[in-house]
Amino acid sequence: MIGIVLFVTALLLLFVGYPIAFTFAGVSLLVGGLTMGLDLFEMMPYRIMSIMENTVMMAVPMFIFMGVVLQKTGLAERLLESMGKLFGGMSGGLAISTVLVGAFLAASTGVVGASVVAMGVISLPVMLKYNYHQPTATGIICASGTLGQIVPPSIILIILGDVMGIPVGDLFKAAVVPGAALILAYILYIIYLTRRNPDFAPPIPVEEDRWKVARSALFNVLPPLALIVAVLGSIFTGLATPTESSALGGVGALILAAIYRCFSLKVIKESALETVKVSSMVFAVLLGATAFSMVFSYSGGDYLVEEYILSLPGEKWTFLALAMLGIFALGFFIDFIEIAFIVVPILAPIAEALGLNMVWFAILIAMNLQASFLTPPFGFSLFYLKGVAPSSVMTKTIYKGAIPFILLQMTILALIILFPDYFIFY
Amino acid sequence: MRVLTQQLNRFIDLVGILCAILMVLMLANVFYDVVMRYLFNTVSIAMQELEWHLFAAMFMFGIGYTLKENGHVRVDIFFENLSVRKQAIINIIGTLVFTLPISYLILSSGYGYAQEAFLMNEGSGDPGGLPHRWIIRAVIPASTAFLMLCALQVMLTEFQHFIGAKEETEQ
Amino acid sequence: EKVYRWKLAETWGPNFPIFGDATKNLAKLVKEMSDGRLVIRIDSSNKHKSALGIFDFVKSGQYQMGHSASYYWKGKDPNTMFFTTVPFGMTATEQYAWFYHGGGMELMKDVYDKYGILSFPGGNTGVQMGGWFRKEIKGVDDLKGLKMRIPGFAGEVLAKLGASPTNIPSGELYTALERNTIDALEWVGPSLDLRMGFHKIAPFYYTGWHEPATELQFMVNQKAYESLPEDLQNILTTAMRVAAYDMYIQSTHASAENLKQIREDYPNVKIQDFPDDVIQALHKANSELLKELSDKSPLTAKIIASQQEYGSAVRDWTGFSDQAYLNSFY
Ligand code: NA
Ligand code: NA
Repeated sequence: MIGIVLFVTALLLLFVGYPIAFTFAGVSLLVGGLTMGLDLFEMMPYRIMSIMENTVMMAVPMFIFMGVVLQKTGLAERLLESMGKLFGGMSGGLAISTVLVGAFLAASTGVVGASVVAMGVISLPVMLKYNYHQPTATGIICASGTLGQIVPPSIILIILGDVMGIPVGDLFKAAVVPGAALILAYILYIIYLTRRNPDFAPPIPVEEDRWKVARSALFNVLPPLALIVAVLGSIFTGLATPTESSALGGVGALILAAIYRCFSLKVIKESALETVKVSSMVFAVLLGATAFSMVFSYSGGDYLVEEYILSLPGEKWTFLALAMLGIFALGFFIDFIEIAFIVVPILAPIAEALGLNMVWFAILIAMNLQASFLTPPFGFSLFYLKGVAPSSVMTKTIYKGAIPFILLQMTILALIILFPDYFIFY
Repeated sequence: MRVLTQQLNRFIDLVGILCAILMVLMLANVFYDVVMRYLFNTVSIAMQELEWHLFAAMFMFGIGYTLKENGHVRVDIFFENLSVRKQAIINIIGTLVFTLPISYLILSSGYGYAQEAFLMNEGSGDPGGLPHRWIIRAVIPASTAFLMLCALQVMLTEFQHFIGAKEETEQ
Repeated sequence: EKVYRWKLAETWGPNFPIFGDATKNLAKLVKEMSDGRLVIRIDSSNKHKSALGIFDFVKSGQYQMGHSASYYWKGKDPNTMFFTTVPFGMTATEQYAWFYHGGGMELMKDVYDKYGILSFPGGNTGVQMGGWFRKEIKGVDDLKGLKMRIPGFAGEVLAKLGASPTNIPSGELYTALERNTIDALEWVGPSLDLRMGFHKIAPFYYTGWHEPATELQFMVNQKAYESLPEDLQNILTTAMRVAAYDMYIQSTHASAENLKQIREDYPNVKIQDFPDDVIQALHKANSELLKELSDKSPLTAKIIASQQEYGSAVRDWTGFSDQAYLNSFY
């Protein structure tokens, strides 16, 4: 019972707006201290130490670093421009090239944010200028920018691998087909939309010489493609662990910066400082979640939830439905990091007890968490786009534009649930 | 008070730079270990252990720096629409009720934890591993003390915001 | 009547077979024998999140009891490592004799006293296998540069012969071996190796030298122990001894069954001994390292001497009993 009180109290207090990591830690201390005494918290250093020694999680800052450096090379901008010129002439072409660039960026970094911002700055004004249907334009940008979450390498897959005790390399492999399915679904949707209503995504006049554009596109694609092949290839062939390949990726990104002539001490310093901030944010949430799960499990909360769910009829389907709906609902308000660190540890043992394939379950969670980036009011991608979009684009438009893509995500999620054999390979 | 916050600011930024250096060192360390293993077929457990030492120190001290930089995620549906004064009040109360008490507990228990390793002169249990485990364990209390310092800085700054906003509304 | 509620932290995860059965068995025995007056709750590593924090947990009294292995504390105190097993040391039966009749328990008390911990044998795996290798070891030269996951003192012995011991988290072991991140690894023996699947990727399974009788460990916080009435103290020590014995025979049983399964389902796995010159080189390196350790502290020297003296005396008898008898079968 204490566990449930703790969970609900913490969740409600989040809305006050104090940083999530400290709210969770503080509420856990208040509730745990009052009901079980302070002795329990003597264990905190031991738990913190085991996080500090966690070499799997070491991949998180290094993949973030890789993403930040690539962002500083202006890779996204260059790709968007050349791809736009290459395909913009077709009806729906700019939209499709946005999805492709989104997918490409997704395979080269583990973080979202940067791609949404780049697309919001580059593609959106062009789309608006040529009278794209506004919600469609913003929806495509948010959804494509969010692909980084499921397409490996991905921070969330690393976190889920660690939390659920699955090799991260397996998760990366298993995410390839679902990620590709999502990309395909977006493209098919755009084609369908432009067939039905050509005004939604009109062609854009391109004056430059096609060959010249193609050549510069190639120059912009090949180096990062080599990086993607090196990083993902070394993981998939097993030449390197995900942590090792994240280091290869970080160094590779610096080499790429040198190729594009924007390598400098300043870039390294700024990237490293940005990485420190983002990863400290992630690990602070993990520490807060640790205090939470300590109190939660010592008060017997995990047994209570497990017993309750296992007592429900329908076995794994009831559990799956509850888990997926719960994560989806929480995704409206809190983001993937908290869900992965606080909610997933409660669900994972139950999934294991029910005999679910844990890799499959992890991919379902990761797919589901994609939606949390697009669901208002607290959707990272929406929020990023809102930050860079021209003021003529209303928040309501951005919210509305996300809906079809959330539905597409849910459709793919349902397909993976129903036909795992066609989607999950590792 | 302004001078104090400025000095604190500078110190915290300095630690932030230190974390950034640790970050780059960690990247170099892991990269070096990978290259050594694949190209020269040699493994050093000490270097392997150094990887997570750098990693741990980077994010543990980074937490305080990020607090000062206002980089920790919030649920800001309501928060972002509040006045500066109300935001300041939330930040001050949150620091007093949530951040400082848990930090104090981790600081005191972490101190004992590090001291234990020091008294035993604990080292790695693996061949060729790093000695002096107390150093990395001491990162727990040290970084928590730093976090409390950053929390203090945040409170001072927010207090100034509070006063400043009050004066503005009165004018 | 007063009910004592204790907590035990174990290094293993939940549902870890054999090792985890030992703690469940202990809790059950204690509860039944004490008629419910002493109840032990078991926290696996998924709960306390610090697999190798058991020593500190029990020392500080956060847990009254722990279940782990003494050689994990080598980094804290080198003398702790002798109470698990030593390369080329005694067999399980010989070692139990040493613990209970040859002064082993007293020496273990000498080591653990200063930490306020009581340490007891916690179940034996029997002889552990020398490990899974992707390439055949034909001579000492094949050990040079060999990247092997082999922790602790045995790793140091191998390193002396030019191998590179590495550290890989247990969850990554299979992938690391499959993808040549490491060339070899040791885990336990058929009893626990089968579920890890190493037989699918490494065709050479070598017999053991480095852990002839791995004894797990029950730890009890001394103050907590003293707070128990005398009858409960006796119940607890008896239950620990029974749980340890039960685990030893369970290991033997599981190893026999799983070995049979490996032989039947994976006939391509070659189970073999290391060549003589490798074993001799390992012997030599081991003796040298033990000598170096002896020079470091008088207590270390005392423990090593006790194990070696008792070991050779009891081995004389093993030679005339078990070994002579087994020879009649081959
Ligand atoms: Na990605
Ligand atoms: Na959301």
